[in-house]
Amino acid sequence: MSSSTSARTDDPPAVVLTGITKRFPGVVANSDVHLTVRRGEVHALCGENGAGKSTLMKILYGMQPPDEGTIEVNGEQVRFRTPSDAIKAGIGMVHQHFMLADNLTVQENVVLGAEALHGIGKKARARIIELSGRTGLNVDPGVLVEQLGVADRQRVEILKVLYRGAKVIILDEPTAVLVPQEVNELFDTVRGMQEQGYTFLFISHKLDEVRAIADSVTVIRRGTTVGSADPKTVSSRQLAEMMVGSELPSPETRESTVTDTVVLDVKGLKLMTPDGTRPILDDVDMVVRSGEVVGIAGVEGNGQTELVETIMGMRKAGSGTITLQDKDLTKLGTLARREAGIGYIPEDRHRHGLLLTQPLWYNRILGYQTRKPTAKGIWLDTDGAKKDTERIVTEFDVRTPGIDVPAAALSGGNQQKLVVGRELSGDPVLLIASHPTRGVDVGAQALIWDEIKRARAAGLAVLLISADLDELIGLSDTIKVMLRGRLVADADPNTVTPEDLGSAMTGAGSTSAAVQETAVVEEGEN
Amino acid sequence: MISTLEEKPHIPAAPRKRKMPGWAVAMLGVAGAIALLSITSMQTGFPQLTSSGTTQTAVRLALPILLAGLGGLWAERAGVVNIGLEGMMIMGTWGAAWAGYQWGPWAALVAAVVFGSLGGLLHAIATVTFGVNHIVSGVAINLLGAGLTKYLSTLIFLPLSNNPRQSPPVQSFDTFSAAGLGDWLGELEAGQRLFISDVAGILRGLVTGVSPLTMIAILLLPLSYYLLWRTRFGLRLRSVGENPHAADSLGVKVYFHKYVAVIVSGGLAGLGGAALVLNPGQLSYLEGQTGGRGYIGLAAMIFGNWRPGGLLGGAALFGYADGLQLRSGGETVLALVYGVVILLAAIVVWQLIRQRWFSAASAIVVAVLMYLLYISLDEIPGEFVSYAPHMVTLAVLAVASQRLRMPAADGLVYRRG
Repeated sequence: MSSSTSARTDDPPAVVLTGITKRFPGVVANSDVHLTVRRGEVHALCGENGAGKSTLMKILYGMQPPDEGTIEVNGEQVRFRTPSDAIKAGIGMVHQHFMLADNLTVQENVVLGAEALHGIGKKARARIIELSGRTGLNVDPGVLVEQLGVADRQRVEILKVLYRGAKVIILDEPTAVLVPQEVNELFDTVRGMQEQGYTFLFISHKLDEVRAIADSVTVIRRGTTVGSADPKTVSSRQLAEMMVGSELPSPETRESTVTDTVVLDVKGLKLMTPDGTRPILDDVDMVVRSGEVVGIAGVEGNGQTELVETIMGMRKAGSGTITLQDKDLTKLGTLARREAGIGYIPEDRHRHGLLLTQPLWYNRILGYQTRKPTAKGIWLDTDGAKKDTERIVTEFDVRTPGIDVPAAALSGGNQQKLVVGRELSGDPVLLIASHPTRGVDVGAQALIWDEIKRARAAGLAVLLISADLDELIGLSDTIKVMLRGRLVADADPNTVTPEDLGSAMTGAGSTSAAVQETAVVEEGEN
Repeated sequence: MISTLEEKPHIPAAPRKRKMPGWAVAMLGVAGAIALLSITSMQTGFPQLTSSGTTQTAVRLALPILLAGLGGLWAERAGVVNIGLEGMMIMGTWGAAWAGYQWGPWAALVAAVVFGSLGGLLHAIATVTFGVNHIVSGVAINLLGAGLTKYLSTLIFLPLSNNPRQSPPVQSFDTFSAAGLGDWLGELEAGQRLFISDVAGILRGLVTGVSPLTMIAILLLPLSYYLLWRTRFGLRLRSVGENPHAADSLGVKVYFHKYVAVIVSGGLAGLGGAALVLNPGQLSYLEGQTGGRGYIGLAAMIFGNWRPGGLLGGAALFGYADGLQLRSGGETVLALVYGVVILLAAIVVWQLIRQRWFSAASAIVVAVLMYLLYISLDEIPGEFVSYAPHMVTLAVLAVASQRLRMPAADGLVYRRG
């Protein structure tokens, strides 16, 4: 890949940002940023959440003007006032959150705003079909976007950018919404387009992916570029340390705090698909003890989400029992289960954990509407809720201007800290943590790990589901592998490696002594 | 071996599942409706159900609803809920009367559009620029429309008509009839043959006493469709109603398109008001003349799934219910109940074929209740008859609202940035 670009080093670089500074009231989002993107390369921009990547890209895409500094495209200095200026200069952006209208067709979404190029009729359609091959999109332009899966929607976004004639494509956290196989397909598409001469600016904090796809890497920290690296030689850990500027926190727990007291006892749990044809959970038995972290490993979609939601009472189990400290939860509703002492960090904080448009103290009440300190008798206690939110904000280092701002105003990491703080309030005996550090920055990740470790040391039982195998191995006292709705293997976190776990998760079987198979899964079903 | 990895949540590109083109579905619907009415009129012995007189009245009464519904379509496709249609319509009636008694019917149309557009402009300023909740602003406009016209009527109409609630008479449009065709259809209608006479009656109603306003309104429907679905402007307008953030990111002027849509919406509602004033039966402004037709127009649009074709069906349905009660009174409306029983019977059969036992059972229950109502009453009490269109609205919305798809960003306040 890099050989193809070295031939063109005489050309002016595709994009050069020099000394970019951008101030917002109270904060400096970018200060003295330098970035050079050579033509035809995949250039990765890495940084923590809130490091200023997005602001920088908004400046490059003309959504915000820089206060200082210059932008050069193909050797010429440019000034973008609106995104249309950037588009004219050949720069296109694929937003992390898709900018698509579901109820319009692919064609309508693509031509919108660029009708002047080929109209909105047959000519446009022909051009879209011609371009969609490059993005790997294989659908009729007349199909409604709502019928497409996530990966295809992303292709439509790329198609939009191509249709407008972009040569430099900014991909903002493109893999955040994709499953691993789709990530590989996306990377194939990117490489294919790179060969056709397109240049990519790839924004990510997933370092493995950066190393897999990028030709060069620039790291940004606290609004300024701190250096670049060669993805071929640098390790993910080195990159991460550049990003945070210090040594990385590790999820490692020191000594075991596991006791004999059984907190959660799940027996014979079964759950069928809504149409009743296939089991999602098949005879799951599990015990979580006080002071123990039980980690569940598994490729996404093998029943982990459903297991958690069944324990929480969000789904109704077909059969089996769930017992929490000698109390039978099987027939109780979700609120009663929470009151019995379960704290729950949901995997998608936007769907289940928070009301984004409501203030922080209001979010504190959610799930605690019947308990002190957020309720007095049948009335909500807003004063108590506000006071307790202040406590969470201080103790859990939630960075917010105040407790009256809506949850949406916080970054992902701070939202998650608020959720963790809330779920550890009210003295739970069991914490269910579903992907507790997904989509949060390294700083918040360290804090969340510390809090989980501290609660564990105080005797909390923790059920941890995570796709981050390092996190899982580091935090857990016991690891169970889930495959097609069954717990198929136990692994010892002291000796198991991510590779061993990975092969156990896919059902490929493991040769490692650290993984012990506990059930046999029939192959061949699909 | 690692088959779990191969499985990916990929939704295949579904080919367009359209077994029949839209116009064919519409034709089938129309044929079905006529057949239903024709059987009902034969069984119950009320030829009024499909007489040319009823049809003519229905068309006249459907016009304001159609125009108000079109107004709603424009606004909601751009993402602005326009519950203020009623108020804009009231302003349209007043404007039409004020210009109409002085300068004739064409001036009445222009004034109605201008007055309605002013209401739309107000709604746009409130909802788009200032981000007021769409319902709140709409209700305010309804109140304002009623209050303002009351004030203006007292000021201007009272000295002329000695009645603060009524304007001086307005000159009406000349109407056109297809004379030869009408006579021939009249003979067919008088023949009292099943179906043929019914079709003839309906057709005769459609070609007799057609005013220019009727033609304009009917033409506005395909025109709106063409503008909204076949032009660049329409694509942008609809994108604003579906995902304004996406539209904005692509350089579409969101506020501009919303403004245009809401102002056009007000203009169409105002035109609907003119259709009330220029109705041959009244020919003047009357306080409370709109009688909630703005809301019914909105309901017709929802019934039509935010599409022009469906909207026409909704307007025709409500206009017909209204026309029937006005023209023939309680007995014939009761005959309509019989028609509903037949319709329900058809639904039962259909649901049984599809093996939807619960739907079939509930349809049977309702059908039996309706039938009992039909045989136990001689006529629907007058108090209820005048509410027939509203009842139909309620019933239709309750049944139809299951499979509707409104614009995704409808009713949401959009803020740039």
